[in-house]
Amino acid sequence: MTHFCWWLVDLLSRMLEPGERDAVRGDLAESGLSGGQALRDVLGLVVRRQVALWQGWQPWLALGGLVIPLGVLLTLVSRRTADENAVYLWLYANNWTWTYITSAGFRAELFGNGAGIVISWIALMCWSWSGGLLLGYLSRRTTWSNAAFLSFGLLLGALVHPPPFIESLFLPHHHRFGADPNGAVFAVTFYRVIFPLIVQYVLVLLPLLLGMRQGLRTAVLPFSLRTILWTSAIASLASLVTQNSLWWQIRTWQAYHLRLPRLPSLHLVAAAGPIGYMILTAIFRWSRGRTTAMTADPSLKENS
Amino acid sequence: MLGEFEYLLLTAAARLGDEAYGAAIRREVEEATVRRCSIGALYTTLDRLETKGLLKTWMGDATPQRGGRPKRMVRVTAKGVQAATAFYNAVMLVSRGVPWEAERVAIQP
Repeated sequence: MTHFCWWLVDLLSRMLEPGERDAVRGDLAESGLSGGQALRDVLGLVVRRQVALWQGWQPWLALGGLVIPLGVLLTLVSRRTADENAVYLWLYANNWTWTYITSAGFRAELFGNGAGIVISWIALMCWSWSGGLLLGYLSRRTTWSNAAFLSFGLLLGALVHPPPFIESLFLPHHHRFGADPNGAVFAVTFYRVIFPLIVQYVLVLLPLLLGMRQGLRTAVLPFSLRTILWTSAIASLASLVTQNSLWWQIRTWQAYHLRLPRLPSLHLVAAAGPIGYMILTAIFRWSRGRTTAMTADPSLKENS
Repeated sequence: MLGEFEYLLLTAAARLGDEAYGAAIRREVEEATVRRCSIGALYTTLDRLETKGLLKTWMGDATPQRGGRPKRMVRVTAKGVQAATAFYNAVMLVSRGVPWEAERVAIQP
């Protein structure tokens, strides 16, 4: 238990500024406090620091202008993705027989549906990562608070029924009159509750947090990588907003009498951008590590 | 006018002189008040006092007892001395003739 408390102390103290983190950890080491007392002290300091950050207007602007809209959009899109995937997963799980594999038509259908599911998952992860990157860059000091808000928002989105207006926009298959043809799927607790939670936490929250972490580090990247990073993130987020039913609904409403164009699919851009950036970053780090090793040991350079 | 906890920190830092840093100030305050002093309250109050210009802080040397981590050193400024003096005088003035004044005299070393 003591080791766990000290592990939590180390984790929480990362939310402090580097100088203060060292001073506090040093004070705790010198004081000889127990793990529980140290945890209580550090938690108290972290909470006070986070609350102090929210006394300015900038975090509230980021919260209202970016965190909440992004959280709502990702929650609804991930919920829709989970519900659509659940129908196919239920169909295959409940009707599976290995003799289907012998049928060429079935194999083609399986491949097509499987590819569609995988593409939707990749798009969801890339949208989440790009959103996290933007959040991490724009709201550096309140990154942890925003991560907590988004985690709570995702949980709420998975457990609470959305208002009918929102449901009709993003979850049209929920908004049906008469018997739901997919009622058998969502009568199962796993597909109704657990699977959406898995999708939201693995495909949304995890990439979101990784993107936030990357957003905190963008300042140290070279200009070329930063350009690729931001281009892919912006294209990815643009595809999140435009490639879901919200854009289609606005066009069909004609509420503002705007002639909105039909947009080409940006899903490939959504996926290619962040993935390409991660590959380039890995190559850059590998080559920088190699250069550092050569500088430290000239014999490596002679042998290369 | 200073707050009670602000006065305690300033006074502890002034007593410690060149050895004034986070953990030492915390020990002084805990010994005087016979109550736990949380790190959160300590560091946020140090920041507030520094913002008011009543003390200065800087990162000092690391020691093996602190796991190789530096200390946050504290020094009371002239303005801090004035503020603490004003608080002390106010407390002394308002406490004249109160029943517990005799008890304060009794516990002096």
